[in-house]
Formats: sequence, C-alpha cells, structure tokens
Amino acid sequence: MSGRAASSNAGSARDHEEQVFETGAGLEIRDLYRPEDIAGFDAARDLGEPGEYPFTRGPYAGMYRERIWTRRFQVGFGSPRETNERIKYLHGQGANGFVITIDLPTSYGFDSDDALSEGEVGVTGVPISTLEDMETLYDGFGPDSVSYALSIRPPVSSVTLAMLASVAQRRNVPFEKVIGTQQNDPFYQMSGGPLQTITQYFPLEGTLRLCIDNIEFISRNMPRLNWMVTNGYNLRETGVNAIQDGAFTLGHAFDIFRRARERGLDIDLFARRASFFLSCSIDFFEEIAKFRAMRRLYARTMREGFGASNPECWRMRFSVQSAGNTLTRQQPEVNIIRAGVEAMAAVFGGAQSIHLCSYDEAHGLPTEESSRIALRTQQVIAYESGITKSIDPLGGSYYVETLTGQMEKAIGEKLAEIDGRGGMIECIREGWLENQINDERIRNQSDLDTRRRTLVGVNRFRIPPQEEIPLKIHKIQAEQWGARRAEYLREYRASRDRQKWADAMARLQAGWKKGENMVPLLMDALQNKVTMGECHEAMRDAQGWSFR
Amino acid sequence: MSAPKRILLAKMGFDSHDTGIITVASVLRDAGYEVIYLGLHNQAEQVIRVALEEDVDAIGISFLSGQHMTQMRRLLERLREQGLSIPVFCGGVIPADDADALKQMGAAEVVMPGTLSPDLLRLVDGAVNHLHS
Repeated sequence: MSGRAASSNAGSARDHEEQVFETGAGLEIRDLYRPEDIAGFDAARDLGEPGEYPFTRGPYAGMYRERIWTRRFQVGFGSPRETNERIKYLHGQGANGFVITIDLPTSYGFDSDDALSEGEVGVTGVPISTLEDMETLYDGFGPDSVSYALSIRPPVSSVTLAMLASVAQRRNVPFEKVIGTQQNDPFYQMSGGPLQTITQYFPLEGTLRLCIDNIEFISRNMPRLNWMVTNGYNLRETGVNAIQDGAFTLGHAFDIFRRARERGLDIDLFARRASFFLSCSIDFFEEIAKFRAMRRLYARTMREGFGASNPECWRMRFSVQSAGNTLTRQQPEVNIIRAGVEAMAAVFGGAQSIHLCSYDEAHGLPTEESSRIALRTQQVIAYESGITKSIDPLGGSYYVETLTGQMEKAIGEKLAEIDGRGGMIECIREGWLENQINDERIRNQSDLDTRRRTLVGVNRFRIPPQEEIPLKIHKIQAEQWGARRAEYLREYRASRDRQKWADAMARLQAGWKKGENMVPLLMDALQNKVTMGECHEAMRDAQGWSFR
Repeated sequence: MSAPKRILLAKMGFDSHDTGIITVASVLRDAGYEVIYLGLHNQAEQVIRVALEEDVDAIGISFLSGQHMTQMRRLLERLREQGLSIPVFCGGVIPADDADALKQMGAAEVVMPGTLSPDLLRLVDGAVNHLHS
C-alpha cells in the first residue's frame, strides 16, 4: 500500500483542509485521470457488453432498464406466526422478496427450549425448530410463488433446505419450481471469531460436508433455487478493507467450488445458481470499482481457471447490504445519508438486490419506521434520480476504469497469496484470516482516534448528547417469546409417534456414518417430527462429537 | 508504581460479533492493562470461574444482538450469590433505556459504540475503581 502521510497543497487555496488522498484500502488517488491513464485498457477485452463476458458492465444485458433491483425486506422476529403475518402485510404492500432472519439459537441448530437459548429466542430473527414452523412461514404462499432468502449457514441450512423441500412436497409443488435463495456459506457467522464460532457447536469437517451435500441436492433437484456461496457481508463487517473483502469472498467461493468438484459435481451445473452477498461501504468509487473488478475476476477465473463452458457460470450475481459498520450512534439521522451514498454505489456497481441498514443500527434492532425510511431511500434512487436509466453509466471514465483495473490487480494478488497458503479454508483454519481481520480492526480505531479518517459526529462535528433527537426503540420480549415457544415444543414432542421418531433418528445417524447425502434423510426425520435441535444432536452423535 | 490492573473481557451467549471487544482489548493493553480475553459463547459460571482464577480487578462484557439484559442479569446475580464484588462493565449496541436499567442493576459502566480511545480509558478507569471510590 502507498504511504499513509496526509498530503498538503502548499496551503494556498482558500478553505484549504488537510486531506488523505487514498481509498479506504490505501490505493493512491491522483488529482486527475487522463486518457493516458487507461492506455493499456482494451474496451472489448476489459469491458465488453452488459450481460456478456467478462461482465464488467453488469451481469444482465438490460440491467435496471428491464428490472429494478430487488428491494428486499428483512423480516423475522418473535415466532413463525408473527413473522408470517408481517410477510403477508408487506406482500400486500408490494414487496416480493424477503430476507428471513433467524434467531441466534436456530442459527446454531438449537431448539427454542434448549437451556442455551434462554434470552435469545425470537430476538434477532424468527425461531424455526420444526417442519411445522417452516410450514407456518409459508402459510398463504407456495415456495414457487414467493422468494425467501434464509439467512443461515450449514449445518443448519441443510435442515432448513430439507424443510423447504418438505413444504414443497406437502403442497404438491415440484422441486424444479421452488424459488428463493439458500445461504450456504459454512463461515457465515464470520462477523467475529471465525473459527471459534464455527466449531463451538459442530465439527468443522461435518459442516463442510453438509455444505457440499446442499450444493449437490440443489443442483440435482432445484434448478431455480439460488444458493449463496459466500457471505462477504459479514466478513467485511469485521473491518477488513475492500481489497481483502474481494479476495476473501472470491477465495472462499473458489475453495468451495473445488470441494464440490472433488465430490464429482459438474461445474457447468452446480455453479449456475451460485450467488453472493456483499457489503457496500462508504468509499464511493472504490466500492463501485470493487464490484466491477470482482465480476471480471470471477468471469475470468470461472472460464479460464475452472474451465466452465456454460456462460451462466461466468456471471457473478450478488445482493448488497449497506455497511452497518459505517453507521454511528451519534446523530443517527445522518446515517440515512450514509446509506443513501452506499446504495448509489451499489447501483453503479450493478447489484441485483439491495437492502439498506436502518439509521438506528447502533441503537438496537430496526423499528418499522426506520426500515421504511431505508426502503424509501432506495425508491428515491430507483424512481426519482434517473441514475438507473443508462447501463453502467460510469463505464469508460478514466478514473473508474483505472480504479477497476487497480482493484482487479490488488484482489488478484491477494487471491494468489491465499492460494499459496492452501486456499481460504486453510487460511481460516490456521488463524491467518483472523490475524488479518484483527490488524484492520486496530488500524480502523487508530484512524478514528487520530482523525486520519473523519467520522462525522464521532471524531468531528459533534453535538452535546442533550441535542440528540430521541429515537423509537424496537422492544424485545425475549422472555415471553421463549416461554411461548417452550410450551409449543412440549406439545409438539408429546403429540408425535415415539417409535417413528426413534427410527428416523436412527436412520439419520446411520446415513451420516455411511456418507450419504443428508438432505433426503433430514426430510424423512423432519416429517417424523424430529426437531431442529434433535437433528443436530443426531448428527453430532454420529460423529462421536459432543460439546456439552 | 502499582501492579497493572487486570481485566477479564468476554462475550456471552450466542452472539459472535467481536470487533468491539477485540478493539477494546487492544486499546486497554496499549494503555497498560493486563487483559485476559475469554473469547465467545461464555456462560456466567465460566466468566466468574476465570475471574476468580485470574484474580481480576474488573470484568468487561460486549453485546451486539440484544441479549444484554438476560446475560448481564444472570452474571450479576451469580456474582452476588457468591458474595463477590468484582466490578462489571459492558458495551455494545445497547438502547439508551437498557443502559440505564443495566446501571440500576449494578453494571459499573455501559460503553456505547463510537467511543474514542481516550474516552474509553476514562470510562474503564472509572469502572475498575467503581467499588473503591
């Protein structure tokens, strides 16, 4: 990276202020970009047409002229019934895509009545402990008519995929018509302690096996279901920069693809519906360049590296969430502007779906009011600003093309370093990733303390606390929600056929030991009223592994 | 010069957001504290056991996902049951009303997001001396 010194401009200009002329990741920014800066740039080779290799200008030919990005609503709280009612309300208001957030006990594969779940049931999302819970979430909708993106990772996503397949079966919806997005990043919880949180309640090898089981099941049975390879969002939220973000996200995906190929799966089939979940941070042009560079790198690696011949497998598609870690607790209304800037960068970057963080992010979970403003911000960009009307409007800009090329090079070099270390999974296992993350966290705090980086309202332009506008706060009722769920699960367990349940548990364990694909076995178990927590207990037992 | 103060930092429950606590650990170490970081997913009993084994001067817990009331209540109750008076401070994404309630409950300090390092050190110094002042 270039030097970190602030450069001063002889102090002649009026209102001159000290500034740092580099991107968030440390790339130098020059005063002006000229034609000679893109002398090596070949529009046919490096840009192409939208919807065509190397997809720099966007994954689809018509982009937003044909279809505005999906404005996803994030829902999930309390219970499946309450969440379903909220989805019905929002569906009536015109929303067509939903990110279903799952509460933390479910995210780790625990039932709502597990002792470990106390105080966390229904708080950050909806609890899902039974097949009936998933059927409740789909009440009024078929899995072929409404698109849910379940925010979850293996091992749990194998169980929710089995639930989704079972719901389709019971509603007579053929698998090939099922839509939605299945997150399938084994390191999803990387918003911290990558390895500890992944291995705390389930062995890593088992998690990786289920990840590939999911890919196999989806690519054989559900051609319309997207599966999310990398949750780059949570990774970026740890504080890493845009170059690391691009490299770790792609490096992880390529590692998973290699594992799927080792299972004997066909790259031209399973990679078709692969998708990504990325963060868009505040450094406007760097983020735009990151998205464009990642698409180009992905296309080149998939075609030249993996030898994929199906053009659908060269095309990188991603959903974006604005960066929660750029938002402040101080003067929270200012966060609306930050999210607006980030949303525009995501649009110039060619995102397929956008979700903006609410301005009360640093105070608590979002309220209905703050979620609505986040949606309205997108609607202003989509329907008022006009920036959607020409495809890749920044294409050909001396600056943007230079930066896109620089990002591609820097991300590519970092990817080579990761490959040299044996791939992303190995980098996580040996603690290298965690060290990279921690260095950046400490650098970020130091940049704020020293004012090298400005954070409005935090290290400059502050106001006294009494001038802050009071906020509405989302009320958590963890204890009531937990008690209701415990009662529900007691009845659910009491009403099942004990022998059928025991037989299904035994089939789960036997199937695990034989190395079978677990998704059909999990379907069988769920249909015999085995719960989420029990599915995990059986799979842990089969591996001779316990944490309690 | 007196011996450096010892602080135990930990995350509790399922929450895995550790950017805040890792950063706080680094700032406190740079300022001369001895920091023991216990990692993620701790229960109250584990936190107290290590606090006693390591003879710490204060405990700091970080939250992001809304479990602060339940987990802090449990930790402070267990400490009281055992007759221990180790100051406990916490930080993270915590609504203002809850921060007041946590202080009522016995938390020595509640540190909010967007706190710069000099302010953090002032708050933690205050919390460490909470029961001795």
